[in-house]
Parts: sequence; structure tokens; C-alpha cells
Amino acid sequence: MIRKILFACAFILINAATLWAQQETIEVFPSAPYDRHIIFQSLALFWVAIIGLIIIIRMKLKEIERIQKMGIDREEKNIPLLD
Amino acid sequence: MKINYSLVTRRTFLNTLFGGWLAAFCGGTFYALLKFAFPTLGKEPDFVVLKTADFMDIPPNSVKPFAWGGQLGLFYKKQSGSTYALKGVCTHMECNVTYKPEDKKFYCACHQGWFDEDGKNIAGPPPKPLEFFDVTTEGEKLIVAKKGIKVELPKA
Amino acid sequence: MSCQRLRNWIEERYDVEGMKGLAKQKLVPVHQYEIWYYTGGIAMFLFILQFITGMVLSFYYIPYFEHANKSVIEIVTKLNMGWFFRSLHHWGAQLAITALFIHVFSTLLLKSYRKPRELLWISGFILLGISIFFGLSGYLLLWDERAFAAVRVATGGAGNLPVIGGFIKAFLRGGIDVTGETLTRFYAFHVSVLPLITLFLIGMHILLVQYHGMSVPMSLEKKPLKQIPFFPNLFYKDLIIWLLVLGVVVSLATLLPPEIGKKADPLAPAPENIKPEWYFLFLFQTLKLFPGDILGLNGETIAIILISCGILFFFLIPFFDRKSSRGEKSILFTWIGVLYTLYFIIMTVIGYLT
Ligand code: HEM
Ligand code: FES
Repeated sequence: MIRKILFACAFILINAATLWAQQETIEVFPSAPYDRHIIFQSLALFWVAIIGLIIIIRMKLKEIERIQKMGIDREEKNIPLLD
Repeated sequence: MKINYSLVTRRTFLNTLFGGWLAAFCGGTFYALLKFAFPTLGKEPDFVVLKTADFMDIPPNSVKPFAWGGQLGLFYKKQSGSTYALKGVCTHMECNVTYKPEDKKFYCACHQGWFDEDGKNIAGPPPKPLEFFDVTTEGEKLIVAKKGIKVELPKA
Repeated sequence: MSCQRLRNWIEERYDVEGMKGLAKQKLVPVHQYEIWYYTGGIAMFLFILQFITGMVLSFYYIPYFEHANKSVIEIVTKLNMGWFFRSLHHWGAQLAITALFIHVFSTLLLKSYRKPRELLWISGFILLGISIFFGLSGYLLLWDERAFAAVRVATGGAGNLPVIGGFIKAFLRGGIDVTGETLTRFYAFHVSVLPLITLFLIGMHILLVQYHGMSVPMSLEKKPLKQIPFFPNLFYKDLIIWLLVLGVVVSLATLLPPEIGKKADPLAPAPENIKPEWYFLFLFQTLKLFPGDILGLNGETIAIILISCGILFFFLIPFFDRKSSRGEKSILFTWIGVLYTLYFIIMTVIGYLT
């Protein structure tokens, strides 16, 4: 009787273990620490580049608005070219 | 030298800064895209490991093919019994060559190229000799390696 | 710039000054609801992103049921940057559909659909439907257990429509059940049929926007509003927002790459607690409200009919809302708009939480 129960328990345990093992998921992200390092570094750099661009665009916008206020945005139509 | 007026207007400066930054940004982004769009190339192997028993016993004056990465490799035993391994790919336009035992020569059918038993290009268009490899045996293992490569077998 | 010769070459052939003038003519009113003008631009930007990432994915994806799942796994695990572009396509899709929903609901609440912009509403609504179909068909391309079950449910649901349901279901599935045939079909939808229709509709939508100009909310129509030129002022603002959106998608793609499940097996039991993609949740949740049968009729069929009517009314709203077409205040339709919006949000949240 006890042996039967023991066997049943062992059986369940083994089954559970195999079920656990089956649930391996596919790696959807590089696992090497070096690769990860590079990836996060690139992401940070990407944001730096974006913020830089945004700052420049805002400077450009200010300049455009300044010129529009001066009313000279009908730019260089009859100005002789310098090159 | 100090000049009292600027040669560059605020607009030109901003435009250049903007254009340059944008070009760099798009370039970087595009590089990543190209990296994915271009095929991830497998490298030609530095060495391959074969089974000694499969190759050492071939008759003299014959060849036996093996896989050198995705290409044809030939294991070659001369009449004298000495053994070699070479890449079975013609140096002209990458056709596979065959061995002609009766002539003791390698022949490429694509444009009638001939190589002698040392792989030297002796007739036809091939510009260079065939590539020979280093062959070493380590008990069971037959190691075919590019010339001048130090083979480090994975420990297993 | 000193490409003077190139510039001359072009100017001799095309009326560049005229085009520049045209670009400068476009003025956009400034007011407190201005922010909703950007949602359309965001959606368009994300669509472009989807096209680019989709094109490179299709270099490697194999649309055959034996290999589909494995080819996605190879893209993700073996190819240079593959995990990133697959993840970017996934997150781009999520955000594109989100942006489109916000865009549609904002035009609904601001009543921008009113005369003369009915066709803008119609084309925009079809675009929303198409992108949902984009999402569903793309999801099946993974050919994993979840995608398989989700598509079975979704196409089965369409099959509950009276009269035409059977045809729609068979057309979508390419057979009586979801099989390899369905995958081939959905691939064709996803990379060929839908992109072409989308390009056409986006082109039309944008031309119509240029033609009509930006709509001004009714409450502000009478007031004098400051106008600013679209180019360059608003163009640069759009650019800033696109850059921020790009940053957000790229971060999401890097930090939360989506999973891939096991290869679909038509004979295996459905996986535990499957949930449709979030943009189907409000439909899913509505279906749950109905009992199995109502007065001897199939409850599901009744639910589907009601939902279809609701959607059809939504689609034709510019034609029902006569008052605002005449330029009068239309409080009823304000409430209808609020109702639709709240219903969508609440049902989606409930579906997400349960
Ligand atoms: C608005 C446009 C689009 C949306 C909303 C969209 C949506 C999706 C979605 C949700 C997936 C499943 C991704 C996953 O969970 O991994 C997917 C996959 C895919 N899409 Fe798109 N897509 C769009 C446009 C395109 C275009 C234009 C193409 C090609 C011309 C394309 C090609 C692909 C391919 C090959 C896959 C399979 C790869 C995979 O599953 O990761 N897509 N798409
Ligand atoms: S490829 Fe061998 S001779 Fe031309």
C-alpha cells in the first residue's frame, strides 16, 4: 500500500518536472551580457541623438518665428547670389 | 584675425547643424536597418572535424568528398599513398572540380580548366592553384584546417 | 548649398516657386484643441514605420505553415538585429492602432466629420478597420498556438453574422477551418492586399485634408483665430513629435520584446486563458454580456447583429448628424460621441483586467 502511494507520488513529481521542463520559452532577446550592454548603450545614445535633434529644431523654430515677426519671411527673392 | 561681422548667418548655422545632425541620425538608423536587410552571412569555416576511419582507407589515386562549410571539400590520396585535403572549388568561377584518376589531374567542366595533382593550374582559364588544407589526425578525429590556422577543438 | 546646377535643372522644368507658394499658403488655426491635430500625423508616421519594418521582415519570413513559426524564431534568434526589427514591427502595430483610435475618437468628439468633411470620416474609418485587419492577419503569421486560437475565434465570430456570415468566414479562412490555407491567405492580405488599399486610402485622406483645410471646432468657429503657416512652423512641431514617438517605439521594442509561442497544432487543445489582442477586447467583452439564447434565438447572433448596427451607425454618423452639418449645436450627438468613447474605453479596460 505504502509503496503504491510512494510510486504515485514519484510519478506525479516526475510528470510535474517534465511539464516544467517543457515550458522553456524562446529567447527573444540576445542573452550574452556583452550584447545586452551594447544594446542598452545604443538605446541611450539613440535618445541622446533624438533630444539633440529636438533642441536644434526648437532653435530653428524660434529663429523662424523671429523672422516672421520681423515680417521678412518672403526671403531673398531678388538678392544676388553670392556663390 | 578678428572680424566684426559674422560670415555665417544664424539661419545658415542652424540649417547646417540641423541637416548634419539629421543626416547622422538617419544614417545611424538606416545602418541598423541595412544590417538586418543584408543577409546574416555564415563564415567559411576555419576547420572541420571528420572521422578518420571514413577517409584514411580510400584507395590510392582517388578522392572522397566532404563538406567544407557549404562547399565541396575533397580528401585526396595520391598514387604514392600520401594524403591531402583541398577545396574542390575552381578558382576561376567557383564551379566544383572532379578528379580524373587516369590523368592524375583535377578537371573543371565549366570552362575546361585543368589542375595537376598538386593543385597547380596548368591549363584553361583558372588563375590560381586550388586551395590545399592542412590535415592532422587526433585518434578518431581527422582535422582538416585552413593553412596557418591554429585549431582549438571545443572541450567536450 | 551649392547644388546650384541641380537646382537650375529642376527649376527650368518645374514651377518650384509656385509649389513653394502653395506650401506656404496652408494655414492652420491655433486654439486649445490643437493637440488633436497631431494624432493623425502620429498614425501616419507609425504606418510608414510599419511599412519599412514589414518589408525587411518579409525578406526572411516563410509563409508556409510548416516553416512559418520556425522562420520567425530564426529571425529573432539567428539574424543580425532580427529580434529588434520583429519587436519594432510588433510595437509599431500596437501604437499605430492606438494612435488611430485616438485620432478617430478625437475627430468624433470635435465633430470634425461634419459637412463638408464626410468623406474624410469615411476614409479614416475604413483605415481604422483595415489596420485592425492588419493586426489580426499579422498576428496569425506567427503561427503559434495563441495566434491560431485567436484567429479561429475571430473568424468564427464573423461567421455568426446572418446570411453573409458563412461566406465571410469561408473567404477569410480559405476553407472550412483555419489551416495552412488560411496562413497563405492572411499573408497575402497582410503584405499585399492591405498595404495597397492602405496606400490608396492614406493618399486620398491626406489630399482631402489639404483640400478642405483643418476643421475648426464648432465652439470656436465664430471667434477670430490666429493662423500660423503649416510649413515651416507646424511641420517642425510634427517632426519633434515623430521623433519622440520613434524614441518610445524603439524603447518599447528593446525593453519588452514580445514572446513567441509553440508552433500551432490544429489538433491540440486550445492554450489556457487566451485573450484577443487589446483592440478586440471591447467586442469580446460585449459578446460576454449576452446570454446563450434569448427567446429561443441564438444569443451570439443577436449580439453580433447589434454590434454590427452600432458600428454601422458609427460609420455613417456624419449623415445622421444633420444639425451640425447645418452648423447648429448638436448636443444629442455630443452625447452619442461621449457614449461611444466611454463604452470603448470601459469595455477595453474591463476586458483587460478580467
Ligand atoms: C499598418 C500596418 C501594419 C500593421 C498594423 C502590422 C501588424 C503586424 C503584426 C501585429 C504582426 C505580428 C507581429 C508579432 O507579434 O510578432 C505582423 C507581422 C508581420 N508583418 Fe505586419 N503590419 C503592418 C504592415 C506590414 C507590411 C506593409 C508588411 C510587408 C510588406 C508587413 C509584413 C509582416 C511580416 C512579414 C510579419 C511576420 C513576422 C512576425 O510575425 O514577426 N507588415 N504585422
Ligand atoms: S569555373 Fe572552373 S574553369 Fe571556369
